Amino acid sequence: MAAPLRIGMRRSMRITQKAFFTECIMAVVYEFVWRMLHALLHLQRTLLSWNWRLWRRAMTAVLVPTVFGFQNHPHNNKKLIPTGGKKSCCRVLWKSDGKSLEKLPLHIGLLIAEEETRYTDIANLVVWCMAVGISYVSVYDNQGIFRRNSSRLMDEILKQQQELLGLDSLKYSVEFLNNSNDKPEQQVLSCQATVKVLSPDDGKTGIVTAAQKFCQLVEQQQKRSSDLDVNMLDSMLRGTKGMPDPDLVMKFGTVDSTLGFLPWHIRLTEIISFPSHINITYKHFFSALKCYAGCEQRLGK
Amino acid sequence: MPKHVAFIMDGNRRYARKLHVERQQGHTQGFDKLAETLRWCLNLEIREVTVYAFSIENFKRAKDEVDGLMELARQKFSRLLDEQEDLEKHGVCIRVLGDLTLLPLDIQKLIAQAVLATKHHNKCFLNVCFAYTSRHEITNAVKEAAWGVEQGLIKPSDVSEFLLDECLYTNNSPDPDLLIRTSGEVRLSDFLLWQTTYSCLVFQSILWPEYSFWNLCEAILQYQLNHQALQKARDQHAEARVLQQLEADRCCAADLLQQTGLGKPVDPQLRQEALQKYTAEREERVHSFLTALQEKRDRFFTDLNKGFIASAKA
Repeated sequence: MAAPLRIGMRRSMRITQKAFFTECIMAVVYEFVWRMLHALLHLQRTLLSWNWRLWRRAMTAVLVPTVFGFQNHPHNNKKLIPTGGKKSCCRVLWKSDGKSLEKLPLHIGLLIAEEETRYTDIANLVVWCMAVGISYVSVYDNQGIFRRNSSRLMDEILKQQQELLGLDSLKYSVEFLNNSNDKPEQQVLSCQATVKVLSPDDGKTGIVTAAQKFCQLVEQQQKRSSDLDVNMLDSMLRGTKGMPDPDLVMKFGTVDSTLGFLPWHIRLTEIISFPSHINITYKHFFSALKCYAGCEQRLGK
Repeated sequence: MPKHVAFIMDGNRRYARKLHVERQQGHTQGFDKLAETLRWCLNLEIREVTVYAFSIENFKRAKDEVDGLMELARQKFSRLLDEQEDLEKHGVCIRVLGDLTLLPLDIQKLIAQAVLATKHHNKCFLNVCFAYTSRHEITNAVKEAAWGVEQGLIKPSDVSEFLLDECLYTNNSPDPDLLIRTSGEVRLSDFLLWQTTYSCLVFQSILWPEYSFWNLCEAILQYQLNHQALQKARDQHAEARVLQQLEADRCCAADLLQQTGLGKPVDPQLRQEALQKYTAEREERVHSFLTALQEKRDRFFTDLNKGFIASAKA
């Protein structure tokens, strides 16, 4: 790993007989520095990840949660669930938070790039999205774990919706979309938010399926290959219950990649990263929205 | 060490504003920085670099800016052709990816010359995305597959992730290990969306014309820290792909068996033989199609070179 770096450094220096020894010593020094940097960064990442979780746990255990920083910690659950009055207070405040921003994403993607998953924390994120006024939320992991456990996730979201938003939860009803069928899992009075659970099958595999469908039309001579353009492929990928492209992806975990999340749809998506979703607070969630509100998209111009 | 690095060279105009100079100067400095970065990559034995030079969306910019960028391209591609000996010495293969029919004809011809002249070099590779967006690229790949079906070379069921990979403009390159975007923006802006699904994404706030060797080292460090996790994810995806293909082949082979009327109680041995036969035939079809596609693409450049106007864009 450090060898090419050493060679690269070497080529940049003029090699004289006298300089040869200096060069060897410098190469050793550079390698040492590189390895130290690696070790330091590893340490920093581990500490950040621990720190994040320890700090959050300490805060919830020691302090009484405020209206804003309410955490659904399992131990605190029974003692510190807000009463009806506090819940409606939360709701109103979160809604006005959303309105206070210059722009709000229409669709947020929650990308969980961590080995450990906590359904309660994810449910909190979804509920906060709904509360501030986000219309579409998708939840993704690159192993399809949420897809396989989508009913457990849905139950957790409905539970958190009840706990955080209170009795008026019908106003914030949720429509769950399973990928292949468009039937909503839960009948709603007025759909305020749509939640979709995604996996890598919705990414490249989805594009392949659309490509096969188009090719079948061509084989049946209903279309010519030259008929296809970006808009046509886009509408094929969007399907009948088309969700808009994600404006913002909140990525949780220390892996710096989209890990296969909807490649076609994320062409203009802002990507904001967090070290972990475990014990995530509303404050951090909202800070990402503030960051998004400040982004300028020039769209090529 | 990453073998293939992709750059979104963002920030030329902001740099120009910062220094109170003309936009065009910002772009020129940006080009110089590109040349410098390529030298660093070569020294670090990063053999393949892909850069986002001009997006189809950039045609929306003011006419004088677009004309300025086209003129810059004209000068740089001409310069490249003058330095053919140097390119041969270093074995540099230049590829230009995008919908080239959107460009002025003289630039198309310059590009064709540069691409043909360096086609057989294989020490290092520079892919320039010009008149490119990823959605156009993916759409074009699907169109090529559909063309294959029209020509009777492949069946719709032969279309797979592997086949689409080979139909993209980047079919001769491995996926980038590392994607670097400068100027602080944290989005992909329609660049290599298909190819970067398991790449390490590094967003750096420095403006492109100010990019330094240490910025590059910082990005490489981040790649190295992510390497294991990304490799694991990539391998999982590759395994899943193999299983999907096997399952698809099995279905198709079973359908064929039914159609040929060999009846329901099919002997497992027969089923296995049918599957092997089907897979071999499918691979044969795909191979012929890809050969024909490569010939079609080569013809585009050789025709340009001969001075004929390329086939009208679809």
